[in-house]
Amino acid sequence: MASSAVARETIVSLRHQIAKIEGRLAETFAGENGDVHLRRQDGLPQGDFLATGAERFDAALGGGFPGAGLTEIHATGMRDAGAAAGFVMGLLHLLVERTSSPLLWVGLSESFREAGYPYPPGIRFLHGIDPARLLIAQAQKLNDVLWIAEQAASIDGFAGILLETRGPSAHLDLTATRRLHRRALDAGCPLFLLRQMAVCEPTAAPFRVVITSAPAGTRHLLGKPLARSIGPPAFLVRIDKNRINPPSEFILEWNAHARAFSERAATDPVPVVPASQHRAAAAAAPGTILAFSSPAGSTPAGGQPSGEQHPAHRGHG
Amino acid sequence: MVSRQENNTQRIAAMDEEAARLGLKPGMGIADARAMHPGIEVVAEEAKADRRLLEALADWCDRYTPLVALDGAEGLFLDVTGCVHLFGGEEAMLAGMLERFSEQGFRVRAGLASTPGAAWAAARFSATGTILQEGDERSFLENLPLAALRIEARTISGLESVGLRAIGMILTAPRAPLARRFGSLLLLRLDQALGEIEESISPRLPVAALSVERHLAEPIGLVEDIERLLLLLSGSLRRDLERRGEGARLFELLLFRVDGAVSRISVGSSLPLREAGPVGRLFHERLVVLGTALEPGYGFDLVRLSAFETARLDMPQADLAGAGNTQGEDIALFADRVRARLGTASVLQPHLAQSHVPERASLFVPFDGGAGPPQPPIAHNPERPLRLFARPEPIEVPLTEVPEGPPRNFRWRRSVHRVARAEGPERISPEWWLTSAPDVEADETKTDKDERETKREAAQKEAVAIETARMTRDYFRVEDTEGHRFWLYREGLYGRKEIVPRWYLQGVSA
Repeated sequence: MASSAVARETIVSLRHQIAKIEGRLAETFAGENGDVHLRRQDGLPQGDFLATGAERFDAALGGGFPGAGLTEIHATGMRDAGAAAGFVMGLLHLLVERTSSPLLWVGLSESFREAGYPYPPGIRFLHGIDPARLLIAQAQKLNDVLWIAEQAASIDGFAGILLETRGPSAHLDLTATRRLHRRALDAGCPLFLLRQMAVCEPTAAPFRVVITSAPAGTRHLLGKPLARSIGPPAFLVRIDKNRINPPSEFILEWNAHARAFSERAATDPVPVVPASQHRAAAAAAPGTILAFSSPAGSTPAGGQPSGEQHPAHRGHG
Repeated sequence: MVSRQENNTQRIAAMDEEAARLGLKPGMGIADARAMHPGIEVVAEEAKADRRLLEALADWCDRYTPLVALDGAEGLFLDVTGCVHLFGGEEAMLAGMLERFSEQGFRVRAGLASTPGAAWAAARFSATGTILQEGDERSFLENLPLAALRIEARTISGLESVGLRAIGMILTAPRAPLARRFGSLLLLRLDQALGEIEESISPRLPVAALSVERHLAEPIGLVEDIERLLLLLSGSLRRDLERRGEGARLFELLLFRVDGAVSRISVGSSLPLREAGPVGRLFHERLVVLGTALEPGYGFDLVRLSAFETARLDMPQADLAGAGNTQGEDIALFADRVRARLGTASVLQPHLAQSHVPERASLFVPFDGGAGPPQPPIAHNPERPLRLFARPEPIEVPLTEVPEGPPRNFRWRRSVHRVARAEGPERISPEWWLTSAPDVEADETKTDKDERETKREAAQKEAVAIETARMTRDYFRVEDTEGHRFWLYREGLYGRKEIVPRWYLQGVSA
């Protein structure tokens, strides 16, 4: 009995070394049947995941977003706050269907003022969340917002918490996020930290995802795509911090009727300019999954410079 | 000396003993007084400050009884029925009260009697500290002047002109002629002072359903001490509430400072509360926010916890594992604590309203622990953005493809967005039935009344049509070249020279 445990230990350490040599991340191992993930995450209940439904995306996260604890969501620009909130609401809608508890959306008053207040009719249309199941909390100061979130996470009453802040802040450091993470883990409640216009700093969240708006899909009429229509909203999701897999990038679409995410297939092109021509490409992972080839190298035809890139005073350059 | 503006002249409103010794009298003109004694010092009266001082004193008197009423600009009524034994009897209570007042630097006159009228007279027309036993009112009042009756000066001078100078004379006079000549108020006051007609004072503050208090020999000042004491008080309050089968939704903590200032801290809860723990936590949040604003000074020597707005509260039966269905309560308590610390607007609940104007369709109401106001049935579920700005933000639209169409590009918050795709318009008309009809002036040159009326109606219809066209919105869902989806609208229709359409961005979509 003891010898077999020692043998397993040896095997695990050998696999560590092999993983290092191969350039994979050490937390991922192929088990006996090939798809078992050995994961080292503090107290994360195995198997309780918020799966988006997009298979390759979920697999990159090792099964989905954690069903409890802190997850960091970044919206790089103020204009992406709508997309980021829509993405999180899509994840939370699963929980709302599962339980009868309400959702809490905590935010800085400033972030609501700048990026818009939650609009319950829109949330109902897009995610099917009954407005009666939504509570909004706001405060002027970040310390107060964090206090509200911590109090909310420490009671066993909310199906999920969305904590929205704006700008970089010294208060949201490793200690503060660890507190939030522990509280949310203990309550078994997912806490999404939605940060607008913040830089990626070390936090206690196991996952960090950067969300940017992507051109929406098209509506379909009689089975055919309808030109120039704005269909299901799409998100360019970059998994920025992931202990299981290397960083990767996906385009996910939210289907408001099926209320599910799906990955945009390459055969479903959207005839508009691509979203991320000015963005840095994700680090190319050696020989592993990548949702789509990075568009950064080639500027596609029809690519239009945005107003932010070409301010008026620079003229025609 | 304090002066007061009265009928365009400055008169003496109040003065100290030294001024009285000089022969001055209240009501005298300041100019006369100055002529007599040029050295007097005159200060303008501040009625509001006096009022505040009197209210602060009334607050302080709360320590004796919850029934404290203001009496005019200079007096206080205290209904001490049932409170006397707590302070060691009537004499001890009155003596202690007078002593505390004089320690604070006030000179007060006090009287105690079984009716408010007699007490009023005793405080003003006899040695201070007079206590009238029940039944002694008649003999006490007999010798007092008419001013002791709380009646108008005009009535007093009227009575004096017919030779009735003391209350005793009125008591023996026939009642009917008195009432006919001087009004019923005179007899009412007389009866009230004698206790033949019940008179109740109206307390200035609502009376708590239950309150517990603790007198402290050694004043406390630390917040931790207050919280510890608070737990003890709410523990004994809990027993009383439990006996009544009730919980309270509003708690008030009164802290009586040694030097007479009184701090009131109140917390509300959305569900009736009884347990000491949650009540203590709610007060904890308030005390944290107050912080140094509490100003304990030399410490508090009396702490009282009162419960208002009691409501029925049945203990829910816990299941065998010992856990009841406390989820809703948890959230209500969480919301209470957030509100106690950050104000009522900090926890909000969406409420959908019956309106097709987007910003009116949804509003936020403070969360009250329940399901909130009833939600209207969902008539239809239109496509709407995920986030809406507090008010629509103006955008610059230089060019549209067709006059009534979506913009080609627009400038919002100092950056230009090129529209890649657009859907719309969705036309939303103003809610004309909520606004009043515009006023239209009739054309006065027309002489015929009917013709004038017809013209006026036509002009009014025209004004309504223009207003409607001005307020009509065409909404577009647009996506810019970077993939951001916006919800914007043009307000005002084209085609009328008096209307200039304007563009606004109202929301962002996922």
